Amino acid sequence: MTELLHRMIRKPQGAIGLALLVVLAAVCILGPWLAPYGPEKMDFLGRFRAPGWQNWLGADQFGRDVLSRLLSGARATVPLALAATLAGSAIGAVIGVASAYLGGKSDEAIMRTNDAVMAIPGLLMALLLVSTLGNGAGNAVVAIALAFAPGMARVTRSVALAVRNQDYVKAAVARGEAAPHVIFREMLPNVMGPIIIEATIRVSFAVMLFATLSFLGLGAQPPASEWGLMVADARQYMHRAPWILIAPSAAIALSAIAFNLVGDALRDALNPRDDR
Amino acid sequence: MTAALSITNYGLDYVTPAGAIPVLRDVSLAIAPGEVLGLVGESGSGKSSLAWALMRHLPANAREISGSLRLGDIDLQALGPKRLTEVRGRRIGMVFQDPSTALNPTLTIGRQMTEALMRHRALNHGDARSLAVELLGHVELRDPAAVLRRYPHEISGGEKQRVIIATAFGCRPDVILFDEPTTALDVITGARIIDLFGRLRAETGVAALYISHDLAMMTRVADRVAVIRHGCVVEQASASEIFRKPQHDYTKSLIAAVPRPERRLVHDMPGSDVLLEARGIEVHYGRRGLFRAALPPATQAVDVDIRAGEIVGLVGESGSGKSSMARALIGLARFSGAISFDGRTLHGAGDMNRAYRRDVQIVFQHPDSSLNPRHRVGDILSRPLKLYGGDPSSVPRLLEQVRLPASYATRWPHQLSGGEKQRVAIARAFAARPRLVICDEITAPLDVSVQAQIVELLLALRAETGTAYLFITHDLNLIRQIAHRIVVMRHGQLVDSRAVDAFSSEDVHPYTRELMAASPVPVG
Repeated sequence: MTELLHRMIRKPQGAIGLALLVVLAAVCILGPWLAPYGPEKMDFLGRFRAPGWQNWLGADQFGRDVLSRLLSGARATVPLALAATLAGSAIGAVIGVASAYLGGKSDEAIMRTNDAVMAIPGLLMALLLVSTLGNGAGNAVVAIALAFAPGMARVTRSVALAVRNQDYVKAAVARGEAAPHVIFREMLPNVMGPIIIEATIRVSFAVMLFATLSFLGLGAQPPASEWGLMVADARQYMHRAPWILIAPSAAIALSAIAFNLVGDALRDALNPRDDR
Repeated sequence: MTAALSITNYGLDYVTPAGAIPVLRDVSLAIAPGEVLGLVGESGSGKSSLAWALMRHLPANAREISGSLRLGDIDLQALGPKRLTEVRGRRIGMVFQDPSTALNPTLTIGRQMTEALMRHRALNHGDARSLAVELLGHVELRDPAAVLRRYPHEISGGEKQRVIIATAFGCRPDVILFDEPTTALDVITGARIIDLFGRLRAETGVAALYISHDLAMMTRVADRVAVIRHGCVVEQASASEIFRKPQHDYTKSLIAAVPRPERRLVHDMPGSDVLLEARGIEVHYGRRGLFRAALPPATQAVDVDIRAGEIVGLVGESGSGKSSMARALIGLARFSGAISFDGRTLHGAGDMNRAYRRDVQIVFQHPDSSLNPRHRVGDILSRPLKLYGGDPSSVPRLLEQVRLPASYATRWPHQLSGGEKQRVAIARAFAARPRLVICDEITAPLDVSVQAQIVELLLALRAETGTAYLFITHDLNLIRQIAHRIVVMRHGQLVDSRAVDAFSSEDVHPYTRELMAASPVPVG
């Protein structure tokens, strides 16, 4: 584990990504205590106050401190994105490995269904699910997880097909092992590398998808300080007070970049042949 | 007379984060013009590193610490990149181990051959092409002009190796390096490549460094043999000398490990009751599609009997269907026909119950892929014990049975050497206390000395447990040492089946005779 970390921070991109991630985690855990004001504390004298010593990142249309809202909104954004990605990856990985293991007609049936689901764009799929299940952050997590699963299943299946032909899987089949043992104990541990990497890259998509859903009014509901919702609220004041828009957008972009960098670094660090 | 190639006190290190690893130490070799020097060593002895050092294509972390490499009067180490391209191919050629990766799959054979000839022989395109046709005819390829138009995947492995050899010789270099040129080919094809090599070198008088792990084959191709171990040359002598009067202990142990058919290792006779009786086994791959017929079966009505405690050898070249038989017998491939085992008759993999699966175990060829890299040795061995109702605490006893320390239970497979991994795979098979173990080419990827130890271990385990073996191999010399009966397969058909004593008699199948002729029996 320490060796993996060492390999990741060997390149500047990996080090920057990890540092950003640590900051993000700290904000998620300590955000409300770090915030100088309450996230919903209004100050009518300070409406649209430009960034300065009173409000470091300015204030919004109700005079709420943007920095405080960002800090306390992090825990409403990042953990949910992570949860959605983890759930989606887990579902997709199991479908992919099972499909590769079963092979033949079952494989065909599973993957063609999967393709049909994949043909629907992720956002449309999430929109569909949320409007069926009802608004709310919890439902948005479910929607994003389900939208991610088919893509994950495809990636996993392609790796699992190679693992399926390894002799240790044949040995398990010849030994008379039941399918769950072969799938979960023999095959899944050996496809974990690509899954982890794919998942870290998808976290950033999830952050953005979440922001999009909130922006459209289907995820978190006002007055929550979820980042996407903050962008949606700030839109109408874009010309009067651009900082209300810029701050949450930058936060979303930065966290997306952090996960992308870590994903890339992890991909290189997990590849033993990358020994430069 | 100056040597065609001379290596003096050469030393090479690989620098890793953990420190410098010595690869070659104080290597001094000289090859006279027209001479073939064989370089024999086991995996990890540094023989391929020496070839790459001569081709000046070392990895970035290689450090040359001493000595010189000279090709005639050229100092190879002093060459700049531009001069180097003039020397490579033109003055020093190379033939690689695996012909399937040595040719570019996206270019035709003709394009690849003429490019090399135009570059190194300063010919125009037309001349290069007619020379290529002539060269291919010379390496006994039928219809050379047609071969030139083909892509590498359209010709067989043996033909690819002939193309590479023809190109290497066609550039008329002073020295050619051969890095295990027959290892990736099956026995008969390999033997023909060796015959071709002998003829070409007699005609051209080229000097060669011939690298191999196979000491028995060396005596056929080389004038002189150097034995390399842990990066040091331990002995050099003429090819016939080294077999008759080895000086160094390591050479002696290598020679002792070479299988010789006349030295039997098994002396008892098998029981008389039949353990497994396979009748009319046809192995099918793929299914009939809507618009396409099913593939022909990989084996055609093969019958095999195995008696209790008997060692049956199953030999044949690659593609003969011998591994398909193994897959059918353990239920990995769909088959038609019937297997009688222990009074039960099975008509497909679905009929194989737990008792059959426990009684018939398999050990695969590649220990790297047969052990799950994410499981510790202890987990790997305890799994069959749990599945078949054994005692999970007997893992140390299993390890001891295959001569490994009990502490290995906590290791990961990648921390073991190839031979050790194969021992773990054998222990896993024996954990089920089987009555028949199928060994699918289990010694092929191992070094000769490790191979001898594995065979010894298998025989000791048989003496302990009375297990029967179905030993699939292409090494006739090895199988004649241990088998009671040998079955020969070709193109999915069983062509010969006889007791081992009757193997050298006159009435053997012509194909069996061909196989025997292709297996290099050590001279001297």
